[in-house]
Amino acid sequence: MQENYLAKWLNNELSEKELAEFKKSAEYSSYQRIAEASGKLEAPDFNMDKAWNTFKDGRFDQSPKVVPLHPFKQFLRVAAVIAVLLTGAYIYLNSQDEIFTTQLAERTEVVLPDASEVILNADSRLSFKERKWEDNRNVELDGEAFFKVAKGQRFTVSTDAGTVTVLGTQFNVESRDGFFEVTCYEGLVSVTHNSNEHKLPAGNSFVVINGEIRATDAVTSLAPSWTQNESSFTSIPLKYVLAEFERQFNIEVTTQNINTEQLFTGTFDNTNIDLALKSISTPSQIRFKLEQDKVLFYAEDTP
Amino acid sequence: MANVCEEHIFSSIFKDNSKTVFNYIYYKFGNEEKASDAVQEAFVKLWENCTKVSPEKAKSYLYTVANNLYLNVIKAEKVRLKYADLHSNSINRESPEYVLEEKQFQKKLDDALNALPENQRTTFLLNRIDGKKYSEIAEMEGVSVKAIEKRMHLALKTLREQIDGI
Repeated sequence: MQENYLAKWLNNELSEKELAEFKKSAEYSSYQRIAEASGKLEAPDFNMDKAWNTFKDGRFDQSPKVVPLHPFKQFLRVAAVIAVLLTGAYIYLNSQDEIFTTQLAERTEVVLPDASEVILNADSRLSFKERKWEDNRNVELDGEAFFKVAKGQRFTVSTDAGTVTVLGTQFNVESRDGFFEVTCYEGLVSVTHNSNEHKLPAGNSFVVINGEIRATDAVTSLAPSWTQNESSFTSIPLKYVLAEFERQFNIEVTTQNINTEQLFTGTFDNTNIDLALKSISTPSQIRFKLEQDKVLFYAEDTP
Repeated sequence: MANVCEEHIFSSIFKDNSKTVFNYIYYKFGNEEKASDAVQEAFVKLWENCTKVSPEKAKSYLYTVANNLYLNVIKAEKVRLKYADLHSNSINRESPEYVLEEKQFQKKLDDALNALPENQRTTFLLNRIDGKKYSEIAEMEGVSVKAIEKRMHLALKTLREQIDGI
């Protein structure tokens, strides 16, 4: 006999052979009788209509309906999600930096929230947080820019090479690979380089080339020459001059047999490439060959 | 999707299950009042949670709630059951001896049923009275079909031993 055969028997699941065997057993008649009698059993009366009415009186009629609340609940859910998204987007956008960049041979003017002006030279990047600008005038600069800062709280320019702090003045900052120059045109500028502070009165420059601070002559102009479409240099290694030339004309410069560390003093025009090439090559006594978007500088005695 | 919160679905669940919930609790504890309360309680809970319980799950949800309601709380009382057709049958061709013997047997069965462990009695009666399949009882009790078969087998075996006076 299989396991739980009595349960199987009641459920008519026994095989014929098993059933025959079970019927022969002494207990079969008793089981048969129990099954028969228990089949006639009845549970106490249960009045379903009464139970339903009791339930209905307690639920549907008095208590606030759950079903009608649903659309509103759904609406609240959607509204909550939208509110969260909007708040998130607002905070995110507000905390985002404002970023201005210039491409090669490009220049742009930026007006800061307090009407301070910034002129960005070619291939430069300026970023700042617009939020709480009045309390925290801080911009980050990579490249070169001329600042005309409106009077107000401390104004800070952060660069990789150092920070420049002013209250309200006009100054130029250039921070590129190995080259850091700050020139003050009006007021007083404080330059922090390698945690040393340098005070820079109007008409002075602070130049660091490859980590070395260079002495400079007094500045007489009122604004950096590049804002007047000229690039000027005073005792600057030729390689930085050529790099500036590349930026201003978006051209590739190659050199041959030339000492690019030699110092250059002079100016080149940012609009006329032929004029600019002559301005660089003549005083340096080098020759050049201009192609489509390349220029080769080579020594005069090169064959 | 069908939702238990919709009144016509809810009322059809009520019609299909309220009697069985009542019997289920009655077989366990032998108390009609508690069984009626359990019906109300179980359906109130189902109504309150109608958004979370799918129509397919509603049945087992009801039995779980009803069962948990009196878990370890009340002591089982004597389960009183009636016998169908015994007196209503006006054309009774059976001899008085047979009727008497039958009555005696029913008394023995009654006592034996009450002596059964609660889970065996509930399973046995749900099958014999309510005609529930083993698989349905298994779903109600939250156990396997095999376990229900075991309970049925043991219930029958114990009942016979009691009645035959072994």
